[in-house]
Amino acid sequence: MSDADEGSETPPETPADDEDVDAEPETFPSPRRAYTESEVIMSTVRVVTPFVLTFGLYITFHGADSPGGGFQGGALVGVVVLMLAFAFGIDPTRRWLGTKAVTLVASLGLLVFATIGLGSVVLGGAFLEYGLYPLEDAAKYGIEAVEIGGIALIVAGVIMGLFFLTAAGPGGDVE
Amino acid sequence: MMEYVAYALVVFVVLTGIATALLRDVLAAIIVFAAYSLGMALLYTLLLAPDVGLTEAVIGAGVTTILLLLTIVKTVRPGGERTIERFDSRAAVACGALAVVFGLTLPDLPAVGDPNSPILSYDAVTGHYLTQSYAETGVENTVTAVLAAYRGFDTFGEATVVFAAGVAVLVVLQREVFT
Repeated sequence: MSDADEGSETPPETPADDEDVDAEPETFPSPRRAYTESEVIMSTVRVVTPFVLTFGLYITFHGADSPGGGFQGGALVGVVVLMLAFAFGIDPTRRWLGTKAVTLVASLGLLVFATIGLGSVVLGGAFLEYGLYPLEDAAKYGIEAVEIGGIALIVAGVIMGLFFLTAAGPGGDVE
Repeated sequence: MMEYVAYALVVFVVLTGIATALLRDVLAAIIVFAAYSLGMALLYTLLLAPDVGLTEAVIGAGVTTILLLLTIVKTVRPGGERTIERFDSRAAVACGALAVVFGLTLPDLPAVGDPNSPILSYDAVTGHYLTQSYAETGVENTVTAVLAAYRGFDTFGEATVVFAAGVAVLVVLQREVFT
């Protein structure tokens, strides 16, 4: 708790130290900086991240046979990126992701879900009527595809997007 | 034994909920609110709803906390020595009355897992899901079967709402890319 306290008590005026030089120019005068370099947070995130990522993938891929699924697992996988950004800086993580990755992930998820759902309509059935797909165990693989390729991607993408958007604040100056 | 853990969690959740409302420092309120979400997640798990518990832990305790922290970074902390918000008696009466009204309905709820409860005794729906979902869908988690197969259209709407929320924030903040 005291650590979080310190984290938010960075001086209101932005100090011109070296990590601010390579940061993107602020579009919005913020009274405090969102990122504080902290040895404790960086070490913790370095240790915890592999486990969170593994757990998130397990929850996603095993959601059909145990508690979990696309919503929870996708959120966990998205949170991994949030933790990295919190520990090692939001702007470096933003640059590492590029401008297309997050949008692609979220849009691809929606596209996969819609394709599987509407595909059975095209084949002459109801929305998401898995039985119409000419596959063995079509329902099982259809559900897995919707959970993993649809919901998990949407949730992971949108959570990452909300994080970076909230950090960036209002803009309009898009490169 | 487990019911005492559950009672302790209920007390913890109520106390952290009240503390979230009363704490004057927003940062402290956010941290206490994360603890509230953690208590709720444990409570859901104890009530045999691990899917909901997982969601509450990840979204409630994790993502919401991070987004709220990012938001207050852009604000200024209120000065002064007070830790507790000034007590508004009218708001307290309104909240207390609401809590009493909700509390009065509690005795009429069926016990957890009561086989005579309307949900479990109406076999045409619940019984069908519980007994037939594996044969019909091939997945062992009935929650997933209901979510992605029986109520798949609802879930498509939900997923679309999540996507739309991201797009809505883009529109509000007048940005064209997420990152």
